[in-house]
Amino acid sequence: MKPVEAEGLVRTFGDVTAVAGIDLEVAEGEIFGFLGPNGAGKSTTVRMLVTLLRPTAGTARVAGFDVVKEADSVRRLIGVALQDAAIDPLMTGSELLRLQAVLHGLGRRRAADRGSELLERVGLTGAADRRVGTYSGGMRRRLDLALALIHRPAVLFLDEPTTGLDPTSRVAVWEEVRSLNDDGTTVFLTTQYLEEADELAARIAIIDNGVIVREGDPTVLKGQVGDPTLRVEVADETTIELARQVLGAFGDQRPARDGRVAIGLRGGATRLTDVVRALDEQGVPVAHFELDSPSLDDVFADATGRRLEGAET
Amino acid sequence: MTAAQGLRLNRPRLLVGTEQAWTLTVRSVLATARKVDRWAPGLIFPLAMAAVYSSQFAKATGLSEFPEVDSFLQFILPATILQGIAFNASNAGTDMASDIETGFFDRLVASPVARQSIFVGRVGGAAAAAGFQAGVHTAIFVVLGVPIASGVAGVVALMLISIVLSVGISGFGLAVALRTGSTEATQSMFPLIFVMVFVSSAFFPTELMKGWYQSVAERNPFTLVMDPTRQLVISGWSWGHVFEALGYSLLIGLVSLSLAYRAHLRRLRRS
Repeated sequence: MKPVEAEGLVRTFGDVTAVAGIDLEVAEGEIFGFLGPNGAGKSTTVRMLVTLLRPTAGTARVAGFDVVKEADSVRRLIGVALQDAAIDPLMTGSELLRLQAVLHGLGRRRAADRGSELLERVGLTGAADRRVGTYSGGMRRRLDLALALIHRPAVLFLDEPTTGLDPTSRVAVWEEVRSLNDDGTTVFLTTQYLEEADELAARIAIIDNGVIVREGDPTVLKGQVGDPTLRVEVADETTIELARQVLGAFGDQRPARDGRVAIGLRGGATRLTDVVRALDEQGVPVAHFELDSPSLDDVFADATGRRLEGAET
Repeated sequence: MTAAQGLRLNRPRLLVGTEQAWTLTVRSVLATARKVDRWAPGLIFPLAMAAVYSSQFAKATGLSEFPEVDSFLQFILPATILQGIAFNASNAGTDMASDIETGFFDRLVASPVARQSIFVGRVGGAAAAAGFQAGVHTAIFVVLGVPIASGVAGVVALMLISIVLSVGISGFGLAVALRTGSTEATQSMFPLIFVMVFVSSAFFPTELMKGWYQSVAERNPFTLVMDPTRQLVISGWSWGHVFEALGYSLLIGLVSLSLAYRAHLRRLRRS
């Protein structure tokens, strides 16, 4: 039994197809990164997997149960931290944990013990009796994580857990996710941050326009993109077409932002001197020059022809 | 047990469901208690109205068709309670809509909570707030020297009627909230309820009204609840009046909660 399995999952809203028939498999004990730009279908997929949205077509099983026919069993075994940490600002951290425990059917004593344990784990013991409205964004996220863990879920769904957080809070959430995974929890993580997926996920799927365009081990996927990306920024915009022609001889063009040319440099770094010489001979003034090993952004660009965050990484 | 095995729960479903409904009710009550702007208008505005009306219409109690009362304040006590209930009831709908807008409703629905408990929690919160507010309003009137002709039993009946009527009125707000998921749409219900309060016997006896206004007021469900409730305040104890007021309140509740529960199920099915 796989913790998450989906086959031909489709969700439409009127004429709009948000998820257009995806297949997914998440292995026990792994962190699975679900990556894609805003509006790609990530959250819709997660909402179907956590029983908040019925699929229009296809099937999905989570923790061994069908998300439609056995939704209640699924809810008992999953932990969910959705986007924007929907937490009642008028309640205190410990009150919310007790409430969440009751929602999962835990008795009072068990709820209190588990609540204290989790508050300590996410470093919020000192703020337990403060109203959540006074928490920082990072504290809210950590509390949200604790709420999702109250019943020791078999599968934890984290929907963009670090969106809007400062770098320090982001790293703190990453550490907590890693630690949970070390304890054996399977994590389904959606994110629009390449770095986050690269840091945490053992396997990723990239979704774009409701379709999974790449899936697998990030290292393998990056290796499949092949050549490193060479980006050249010209000092004189009028020479950009000329630069494109010159660089075209060294590799296939890749998406790049305005004023730059990017190619997959065949032969890698050993060809750099040839490139510089060719540009110089043709009189192309270069303002900036960089060579990157393939990143997840390159994987995304290779699959879709676009950069994930609308800019190069 | 490893972290990923889940907690084993073997507690009876009914017990768990009741505990969930109670906890969500407590949450609703706390949310009201912790925000002054949620409870203060419902407590203060009806008292201010009572002060103004009892000064304006003090001499109206001498009119031949006006019921025999100790003072206009005694006449207006049920109306004060009704206005407080209307404020409270609107909070229940607005809070539910806010839960939907902020995603807290999704948090509840993504858990194995008994679906009815989400609904009962909101209604229970409105009922508790209404009972408390009716108690405070009655106590203030008694301190001001207003006699309650039916005594302590009458005060208990007033609170009970207030609770049931509050559940009934909050049902309409919940129906709009669950149907639209919008706090703006839910708040737009509030003026409508207040118009209904004014076009009833809350502030003046229907016998002293005329024409279409009188016809509408006589058929207004709030009049049907107000009149027997007022009799408990001005005339004395009567099981008939208690049952009449409770009966009409229950009828209002039956209609509104049916609409709200249908909207609740519809929203859950949409997911």
